[in-house]
Amino acid sequence: MKIFNTMLKAELKLSLRGIDMLIFAICMPVVILILLGIVYGNKPAFEGAEYSFFDQSFAAVATIAICGGGVMGLPLVISDYRQKKILKRFRVTPVSPAMILCVQLVIYTLYALCSLLLLFAVAVIFFEFRMRGSWLQFFGIYFLVLFSMFSIGLMTGGIAKNTKSAGIIASILYFPMLIFSGSTLPYEVKPVSLQKIAGVMPLTHGIKLLKASSLGLPLTNISLSLIVMIVIGVICTTIAIKFFKWE
Amino acid sequence: MESIIQVEGLSKSYHGVNAVENLCISIRSGEVFGLLGANGAGKTTSIECILGVRKPDQGAISVMGMNPSSDRKKLFEKVGVQFQESSFQENIKVVELCEVTQALYKNPGNYDLLLRQFDLSDKKKAAVSELSGGQKQRLFVVLALLPNPEVVFLDELTTGLDSRARRNVWKCISDLKQKGLTILMTSHYMDEVQTLCDRICILKKGKTVFRGTIKEAVATSPFDQFEDAYLWLTDEEDSEDENI
Repeated sequence: MKIFNTMLKAELKLSLRGIDMLIFAICMPVVILILLGIVYGNKPAFEGAEYSFFDQSFAAVATIAICGGGVMGLPLVISDYRQKKILKRFRVTPVSPAMILCVQLVIYTLYALCSLLLLFAVAVIFFEFRMRGSWLQFFGIYFLVLFSMFSIGLMTGGIAKNTKSAGIIASILYFPMLIFSGSTLPYEVKPVSLQKIAGVMPLTHGIKLLKASSLGLPLTNISLSLIVMIVIGVICTTIAIKFFKWE
Repeated sequence: MESIIQVEGLSKSYHGVNAVENLCISIRSGEVFGLLGANGAGKTTSIECILGVRKPDQGAISVMGMNPSSDRKKLFEKVGVQFQESSFQENIKVVELCEVTQALYKNPGNYDLLLRQFDLSDKKKAAVSELSGGQKQRLFVVLALLPNPEVVFLDELTTGLDSRARRNVWKCISDLKQKGLTILMTSHYMDEVQTLCDRICILKKGKTVFRGTIKEAVATSPFDQFEDAYLWLTDEEDSEDENI
């Protein structure tokens, strides 16, 4: 526990000094939420809907930090530590690779939770948002989304040859997911063909369930979405652990 | 005395080129052992194989009776390592690097004391990246000593240091030797080797060309000075080739 706490404290400081996660995981989602609030105001999600378009979008924006941290931040930091031979130095100490990865996972989870808290505050204070569904259900799904997205990042960081290829793979995963899955541009305003493409992304499934639970709607097709996220999470985590390379 | 580091028949090749061939060394407890040779002679490869960081093609290795790859967690509680290149997280400060490293061990030493010994106390709050080459080098020796180790691996420990700093490091190493620390080091400085090492092994293109004490090395050669003997030992084959 002492190792974990000391490493977490130091790595958290280093991560904050790097400021890119502050921008991508904390500031960007808030800016997007405010923009959505200004553009759509109190317009209903569709004619006769009981909730507004903004209410519907909240859960989607809440996943931006998960996506940014998990798919972009995590693989970059892992591959960077490998390329800079920091992992090699750790290898000749008693620390386990699981501890090193765990510290980073907790850091990006903290970013995601901070972002969620901040978004919720902004949404409630400025845009009359309220949680219509159950927080418990919302958090259950939220952590499942976190698990599946972070596992993708762990795998990318684990198997990428160097920082450059990790950056390329991360971008290929990050930007389409950010744009098509509906975390930034609302899923509902996209043409059907794009919605179909987005259907294969795990984040799309996560956002669907999060939206339904934040709006208090019944969860439909829940098993498919759950299966997609769990399967991806398990496969990617297994690959990441099995193929972990110190150097 | 019992052997702390035992290497038998270690061989490692990269893409068909032999980096180390049939290396055999046995280092006793409390001994300072020098692994010498020109750049590319296979010193670092040997050390990395002994540490289990690289997988040898052949050979049996034991450090304190343990296998460095399978007993990693247990072994590295008591083994300190300074690699040739220093690697650290971007933006990390000296004190943070020390704190994190200290936290990794069950019975670590005191980094404040070590930083003072290595003349780095006033750099505690500085970013590691802002240290001079010599300061970085000393910091990584401090990190290698932080576990309160029984065995230390020092790969080119004084490269990049000025004369005074080198003398200081020598003094620290000699003190540690007095306390019974076993050290495997590499160096390019023969005065350093003469001052610190009990026994040496000289590598040339991966092959062992000499193993023994410094006195024996000098006696093998036609010279009186160790540096001349070293150059002669590492050069012998080439001059023979030229004669043919």
